[in-house]
Amino acid sequence: MAMDMFLDQLHGMAQYYPVVLKGVGVTLALSFIGIAAGTVAGFVLGIGRASSSRALSFLVGAYTDIFRGTPVLVQVFVVFFVLPEAGIELDSFTAGAIALSNLAACFISEIVAAGIRAVPAGQLEAAASSGLSRFQQLRLVVLPQATRMIVPSLVGQYVLLVKDSSVVSAIGLLDLTRSGWVIVQSVPNGLLVFSAVGLGYFLICYPLLYWSRRLEKT
Amino acid sequence: MIKFSDVNKWYGTHHVLQNINLEVAKGEVVVVCGPSGSGKSTLIRCVNGLEKFQAGMLTVEGMPVASEANLRKLRMELGFVFQQFNLYPHKTALENVTLAPIHVRKLSAKEAASRGREILAKVGLADKCDAYPQQLSGGQQQRVAIARSLCMQPKVMLFDEPTSALDPEMINEVLDVMVALAKDGMTMIVVTHEMGFARKVADRVAFIDKGVMVEVAKPEAFFTAPANERTREFLGKILHH
Repeated sequence: MAMDMFLDQLHGMAQYYPVVLKGVGVTLALSFIGIAAGTVAGFVLGIGRASSSRALSFLVGAYTDIFRGTPVLVQVFVVFFVLPEAGIELDSFTAGAIALSNLAACFISEIVAAGIRAVPAGQLEAAASSGLSRFQQLRLVVLPQATRMIVPSLVGQYVLLVKDSSVVSAIGLLDLTRSGWVIVQSVPNGLLVFSAVGLGYFLICYPLLYWSRRLEKT
Repeated sequence: MIKFSDVNKWYGTHHVLQNINLEVAKGEVVVVCGPSGSGKSTLIRCVNGLEKFQAGMLTVEGMPVASEANLRKLRMELGFVFQQFNLYPHKTALENVTLAPIHVRKLSAKEAASRGREILAKVGLADKCDAYPQQLSGGQQQRVAIARSLCMQPKVMLFDEPTSALDPEMINEVLDVMVALAKDGMTMIVVTHEMGFARKVADRVAFIDKGVMVEVAKPEAFFTAPANERTREFLGKILHH
């Protein structure tokens, strides 16, 4: 009897696969944009954070602390509901992508800055002594070494980003989490539906986790 | 070629270089020695601007080192070899050697590689071009570091305790390279405790103590009849072992 009901619900859920696929697509798209834009912006911010200019480092640190120290849900709301007040009209996908990329950039900035600071001073002295410009020292000597050190932490951050992307369901975006909300309206088994949603996130994150663990070993 | 005129440097209230006057002519080899903390590393690091000084004048070929605008151009002509080698760990020996020639001298990758191989061969490492620093012994790493500086075809080579971080059995392979360089007529300032090297190739030996240039003399005079009491004391300490 219970078994029959379970199979019924499973069957009911399966009929929603187009919604799920769409949700997975949105989650993947947001994660991809967040990772790509967040990494690029995070490196730029991180270089500023590790800069010898105290003022620049302080400014970047203050900026990133604001976002690292507030809930991502609140940040998504601010971008989606408050920016339009200032005349910047955004659809929910763009708003979500901006909020997530910005948050990723803030966390990645600190990781990058830590990596840059971990490159021994002698490396910079050697590079400077050979006549390389400040920019060349950074590009050819410091960043390649810093990046090697931080790749495992970066990938760990990517996993967090994929999971954090679920907050965009709060502004009505049909991502993987939201597709669960839709399905649970007609398949009244929250445990089943959201276990399946959780499994979906896990399947997206696991390759990243696996990759990060491999990188940590090398 | 290199001229210190009344160079003074302080770390806070600590007066690390006091009225340093020294002139190094083209082709000359000057060895600088002194107890640890005497300021000898600071002195040589001032020459290529790794350390700033607060008073006096330091010029290389007439160009003041203190000017930020000159510094990059000067550094192209000043090879610098560190105690800790400071090779780039993410690059092979050959890549270490060719990095600055490619990006600073604007040599083509091919030109730089052929020059790099030639110079690595000259320091006895023809077969180590593709090795990474961590695969090399200390002596080999330091020879790569010397090759890295030489590949820029500098006019002057600066050595900051190049053998102090090496195991004893590796010191000579590095000194041999330096002796060959000196014989080739390279202008060199060498901070070192290797008095055998000083005796063999130095044109002059400078003794610095507590930031003061106590004595500068030709090696025969420096080792056999040092004029200053502090020099005698220092030599007594290091030559008896």
